[in-house]
Amino acid sequence: MNPPMSGWLAQLLATDAPVLPTAGAMQTGLYLGWAVVLAGLGVAAVGRWWPGTPPGARRLRGVALVLAIGAWLPGPYSPVHWLGLAFQMPSVLTVLLSAGLLWDRLASARAAPLPKAVVAAEHATLALVVIGVLAGWALLLDTFALLPVQLYAWGFSPAAVGVVLLLVLLPWVALGRAAGARRWDPWLAPIALLVFGIWRLPTGNVWDAVLDPWLWLVLQGYLVRAAWQVCFRGLPLNA
Amino acid sequence: MPAGMAAAHASTLLPLPASHAAALMVFWFSGDRESGPNVQIAASQYERASRKWTPARFVVNRFAMGEQLGYGLRRLGNPVAWMDGNGRVNLFVVATGWGGWAASRVLHLRQSSTGNGLAELAFEPVRVLPLSWLWNTSLLVRNAPLPLDDGGMVLPVHFELGIKYPLALRFDREGTYLGMVRVSQRPYLLQPTVVMQSPKEWLAYMRDERPKGKIGVAHTADAGQHWSDLPDLALDNPDAAVAGLGTAPGQMLLAHNSSIASRGTLDLSRSLDGRNWALLTTLERGAPDDEFSYPAMAWADGSLWISYTVDRHRIAWQRFAAAPEPVPAPALTGATP
Repeated sequence: MNPPMSGWLAQLLATDAPVLPTAGAMQTGLYLGWAVVLAGLGVAAVGRWWPGTPPGARRLRGVALVLAIGAWLPGPYSPVHWLGLAFQMPSVLTVLLSAGLLWDRLASARAAPLPKAVVAAEHATLALVVIGVLAGWALLLDTFALLPVQLYAWGFSPAAVGVVLLLVLLPWVALGRAAGARRWDPWLAPIALLVFGIWRLPTGNVWDAVLDPWLWLVLQGYLVRAAWQVCFRGLPLNA
Repeated sequence: MPAGMAAAHASTLLPLPASHAAALMVFWFSGDRESGPNVQIAASQYERASRKWTPARFVVNRFAMGEQLGYGLRRLGNPVAWMDGNGRVNLFVVATGWGGWAASRVLHLRQSSTGNGLAELAFEPVRVLPLSWLWNTSLLVRNAPLPLDDGGMVLPVHFELGIKYPLALRFDREGTYLGMVRVSQRPYLLQPTVVMQSPKEWLAYMRDERPKGKIGVAHTADAGQHWSDLPDLALDNPDAAVAGLGTAPGQMLLAHNSSIASRGTLDLSRSLDGRNWALLTTLERGAPDDEFSYPAMAWADGSLWISYTVDRHRIAWQRFAAAPEPVPAPALTGATP
């Protein structure tokens, strides 16, 4: 429903030809997505609040397995039945972050990143968090029709995918290769876009692929914590 | 009414092809009470041969649909019906998530049975339409789609979490979702009904939630690509749904509650320009506590059909062999943007 334009530019900006996920992809994505998120949250909670649980402990693997399998129970016996009812499907990026969290907590030994890489990665992560928080506020305002443009509707256009890809790559390009050395988190947002490009999950809208309201809230918590550390405690970002 | 059900609300009419045994089909939601856990979508068909409505039966159940979607649906609400270019009945149904009507989503269902006779009519979910970033909540459907000349249609919906605003969704002839456009910037208008003035000029009439409200209007001159608000109509609106129908170029009908604070009177009005309306007939007039609400209109078999809710307990209907004045021509379709 865009003004008439000609050629490739019109196709690039068009929001009236969304490519939506198939029913099969939506149902598989729903269960797989929530299974990974639940396992990630469970492992993070146990690791934090159960004393004497080191990374890679058998207890953590058990919790992850139970939660992941429990997600596939039939009908209302599955937490996915209720999570889908309330929140639909998590964003691809939330699922990948949860998978990264699982990988981090379940692996018993990890290669330590280079100190220079740590600093660069923290700065790049912070930049992405700021972008995510601002994008979430814009999408929230758009939900209540408080923006002059329809930002969510624009998320169905091919141009939106390009802009989001540019945004998620920008910090890494600006900070150089060091930012991505021996870290998995730099690649999650581009991988989320790749998954979106192939399966169109979760809804066919690029905003839903990279940012859901829960992730947005978590990003705001991260930002507040980072600001508190830097401004009031004088600690470096990665403390 | 399906047997044993005390509540009925939000009917929608679907004209059927001339080759069909029935002239039109009506869908509504029914259960013990509005928003009750046993609310389902009921349907009936008006048979051409017997000139009678068939006994109603339920055609959509939230448990069955939830099972096919892979997650739960808390409640079902307003249905809206449309026949796609392949002759399949599509239903768009309000389905709530965690919460009341403000947690609503629009569930798109498509006929899964071979035929669309009432006895065999069955549906399967296509998807919950992706309409909002905020957990896709608070979007509802109420009024009939505007058919387009390419076989597609425009489906009016609205947002209602805190503020209200109307949207128009586009679908192609296969029933594939194509996108959305905001219809009005005013945060108190809901339940748009889209009426065609000419193939590219359409008007959207909307319920006004404000006390002492008037029927709101928005206008598009480019077949729904852009909309702009117009001044309210002179017609009062007691925060109640309206239904519009374009019957010919420059001939529009509007079913609406005309009292300022009651749904006790339901009128049918006519307009040539979409701005100035004249009363054609009063469809129902009751006490202020009575309710004749949520009208739906369709043109079928050379007649104007109107259905509406009575006291949230039953669905009533009226048929005008020719609309009171003037005689409407067959309903027109809008242009494809």
